Amino acid sequence: MTRWMQFELFWRSFFLQTGWNFAKYQNVGLTFVMTPFLKNLYKQYKRDLPSVLERYLEGFNTQPMMASFCFGALAKQEERMAKAKTLAEYRERLSEWNSLKRSLSITTASLGDRLFWGTLKPFTLLLALFIWLALNINFFEATPQQEVYWIDVFGACIVAFFAFNAVALFVKWKGISLSYNAPNNGCFGLTQFDWNKTIYNTKLFGMLLALGLLLGGLYYFLHDLETFLGLQFITRAVIVLFFVSISLMTRDLRIPNMYLYIAAMLVFNIVYLF
Amino acid sequence: MTQVLLICIIGALLELDTTYAFQLTLSRGIIAGPLLSLVTGDLMAGLQIGIFTELLFIDISPLGGLLPPSAAVCCTLSMALCSLGIPVYFAFFFGVIGAVLFSVCEVLIRKYRSLWLIRQEHTILRKPPYISIVVIKALVLSFAMTLSFLLFYSAVIGGSVARLLPFVPEKLHLASKFAFMAVPWIGMATLVSTFRLKTR
Repeated sequence: MTRWMQFELFWRSFFLQTGWNFAKYQNVGLTFVMTPFLKNLYKQYKRDLPSVLERYLEGFNTQPMMASFCFGALAKQEERMAKAKTLAEYRERLSEWNSLKRSLSITTASLGDRLFWGTLKPFTLLLALFIWLALNINFFEATPQQEVYWIDVFGACIVAFFAFNAVALFVKWKGISLSYNAPNNGCFGLTQFDWNKTIYNTKLFGMLLALGLLLGGLYYFLHDLETFLGLQFITRAVIVLFFVSISLMTRDLRIPNMYLYIAAMLVFNIVYLF
Repeated sequence: MTQVLLICIIGALLELDTTYAFQLTLSRGIIAGPLLSLVTGDLMAGLQIGIFTELLFIDISPLGGLLPPSAAVCCTLSMALCSLGIPVYFAFFFGVIGAVLFSVCEVLIRKYRSLWLIRQEHTILRKPPYISIVVIKALVLSFAMTLSFLLFYSAVIGGSVARLLPFVPEKLHLASKFAFMAVPWIGMATLVSTFRLKTR
């Protein structure tokens, strides 16, 4: 695969989810990404292209950042199919292509969901929150009168944006070549990275940051009150403790946070009104 | 009203980043909120709405075919309502409700898109370069539908709340402020449990 073709797959991969639907998921996106490669591979046999595209238009679903591993591996297998000398050989490789498409999409989806949505996104959020707290931006109050500078606000946004995308774009770009060039026993290049260790270390660091943020937030929320253990202080502390413990409880019961907030809004309004 | 229109257009563009194009996380709360606040000029409100949105939705990830409420839609609606003079604690509540409603609409859109795509697939098989046109059409349709929803919701809910606001008792303002203040604590407690070390 040439560098230009890799770039074309990479660029088109940003539109993998454009036609997302409940019947075949990312099938249109996958076909869109793979079309330049397939056109190039079958340029001598243009009449075969529709039957090839028909296979790509079947159901496909994976995590968008990790999908690049599927593109490289599918391209490699497609080349092997195009080079098949007998019909039996072609059928055997076609069957391999089908199982590869299914199994690799599941594996990459599982890894990608854990790494990007489960770890990296919350981690970059923590990073931004820490920067804002360090810059003395009080986002806890309901009616903040604070004057903030755009450089402070967007500085943390830019850090979170680049921290997430540095990893995401690297995996997107590298995944194509790694899976395409992987040897037969190379697990399509997935073993080049220690995913579990990366997730574990990020989570460990994230846990420390999250605890730090919780304590830092508590200090920030309560430190400006004039009378320690006064009525306002106790009210605020009780609210914080109540919601932290309720949130931990509802998490175990798998109740989303937004329902907790909507319930709080309704209960508070009813209590205050009557 | 021009400000609301501008916020909705930017919001609909940001919403494309959630699923349909790029996925560079421009649509996440902590980025969409401050970006939209450049239109209203109230940086603090944008930042607060952005942070609260992200903390509130942190426990729902787009795994498989699951559709979490959109952070971009929540920020857009909250900022649009804020620009109509609605206090941030009310605007955020209606923004969250709007985002939940939008995810229900999105499920329906995706179901109907399947039917539309079946017809498009036949054309793609006859003319393979047509796939680029299908992608562009899908993007334009998604943008148009999101923009329609945002404008409709902002006009109907925003207009109604803005008219009712002078009649709302002070007690309800206080209660809504209290519930709003609870959001970061709910979110931060969730963040701690998000990083539970279960991978080994």
